[in-house]
Formats: sequence, C-alpha cells, structure tokens
Amino acid sequence: MATRRIISEEKTLLEKDDSIGSSPAAGEKSDTSPAVPASVIIKLLAFTLGMIIIPISSYFLTVNSVFNGNSTYAGALAAIMANAVLIGYIFVAMAEDQSDQEGVAGAGGRSKEGKKDR
Amino acid sequence: MAESELSPKFAPFIGMGGIASAMIFGCMGAAYGTAKSGIGIAGVGTFRPDLIMKCLIPVVMSGIIAVYSLVISVLIAQDLQPGSNYSLFNGFMHLACGLSVGLTGLAAGYCIGVVGDKGVRSYMLQSRVFVGMVLILIFGEVLGLYGLIVALILNTKSKG
Repeated sequence: MATRRIISEEKTLLEKDDSIGSSPAAGEKSDTSPAVPASVIIKLLAFTLGMIIIPISSYFLTVNSVFNGNSTYAGALAAIMANAVLIGYIFVAMAEDQSDQEGVAGAGGRSKEGKKDR
Repeated sequence: MAESELSPKFAPFIGMGGIASAMIFGCMGAAYGTAKSGIGIAGVGTFRPDLIMKCLIPVVMSGIIAVYSLVISVLIAQDLQPGSNYSLFNGFMHLACGLSVGLTGLAAGYCIGVVGDKGVRSYMLQSRVFVGMVLILIFGEVLGLYGLIVALILNTKSKG
C-alpha cells in the first residue's frame, strides 16, 4: 500500500527551526545590525564633514586675520587643507586594511569567510 | 558705476561668466569622477566589501576638484562689488580664472573617473595595483591643481 505523509507531524513554513540565509529560524530575531561597524561609519562621516568644512573655514578664518586680506594665500591654504584631508584619508584607509588583515590572521581565516558572506 | 572706455557697463557680465564657468565645469568633472568611480565601487563591493574603504579614494579626490572650483569662485566673487570701478581687464581676467580652473577640473575629474573605475576593479583581483592606482589618481588630480595655481596667480593681477 502506498504510504501517506503524516501531515500532523510536519512543520509548517511558520515553524521552521533552521535559519536559511538571512531568513531567521522561528522564534529568533533576524540580524538587523549594520554590516559596517560603527567606527568605519564615524570615520567616513568625519571625513565627509572635514571635506566640506575644513577648506572653506580655513579660507574665511585666515583671509583677514592671518593674511591681512590677501585672498590668494588664503585660497592656496584652502586648497592645501583639502589635500591634507585627502592624505589623511589615504592613511586611514591603509590602516583600516592592515587592521583587517590582522583580524583575519588572528581568527584563522574564519572571519574572512564571514566577511565574504556578509 | 562710472562708465569709461576701460570699464564699460558689461565688464561685470564677463566676470560673472568666470564665476559660473568655474563652478559649472569643475562640478561637471567632479560629478563624472564621483559617478564613474562609484560604479566601480558598486562592482567591487559585492565581491570584496573589505576593500570599500580604500576604493573610496577616487571619490574623495573628485570632491577636491569641486573644492578648487569653489575656492576660485569665492575669490572672484569677492572682487565683484556693485558700484565699484570694474574694468574690462578684470572681467576678462576673471573669465580666464574661471575657465582655467573649471576646464582643468573637468579634465581631472574625467581622468579620476576612468582610472577610479578600472583601477578599483583591478585592485579587487590584484592588490599590488593599489599603489599604482593611487599614483595615477594623484597625477590626474594634479591637473586640476595646475589650473588652480594659474587661476590664483591671475587673480593677484586684479589688485593693480
């Protein structure tokens, strides 16, 4: 005789107890924490604000007080400050990458796998 | 404003054209650089999210192009006062300032966009590309800096 599926013992879709991909198991909360750590977001926000504020403020703060109204030097200073922000960003990005590699070495390659899954 | 042969009424129009061309062309270059290298980051980020921080360098450099244009626009705008004797020489000189920083910004932004897009995609596959990519980006960036220097030097002539 043909066997029948025992429907009463089967789990419905709502009762699934394994997490598939990003979909959580029943009773668990889904992982909504941001994939990018807060320190990186703070760094990016700081550089964004620095890029906007530092050149303009250095121009207007120094044009009358330091350079006695010589707007050429103040403009050149603003351009130099913009480049200083860029150099600072390059250094921070290099340091970020090195700390990532150290983290991978410390966790024995496990965290690298997690990073790719993210 | 006293109209004379050396400072006609339309002279400020030429100077305003300098301000506008500095901002418009410079921001066109910066926008192209940001958009094109942003496409590259979107392509890299899905495979190697840990590289995004370093791949953002072309975007920061494109932002600097816009800062150059902004500085020159502010400088020119401070020389333009209603009621003052604004000579036609100043007008054409400000137009030259604006065009030099704007069009070199457009060239630099285009260069940063193309190099940023292809560079970050190559960096995803071969990490040694990074130093070369940053160097090429800096040389592209310097093109905009040359325009800024010429504009700053031109702008000093307006005092005389």
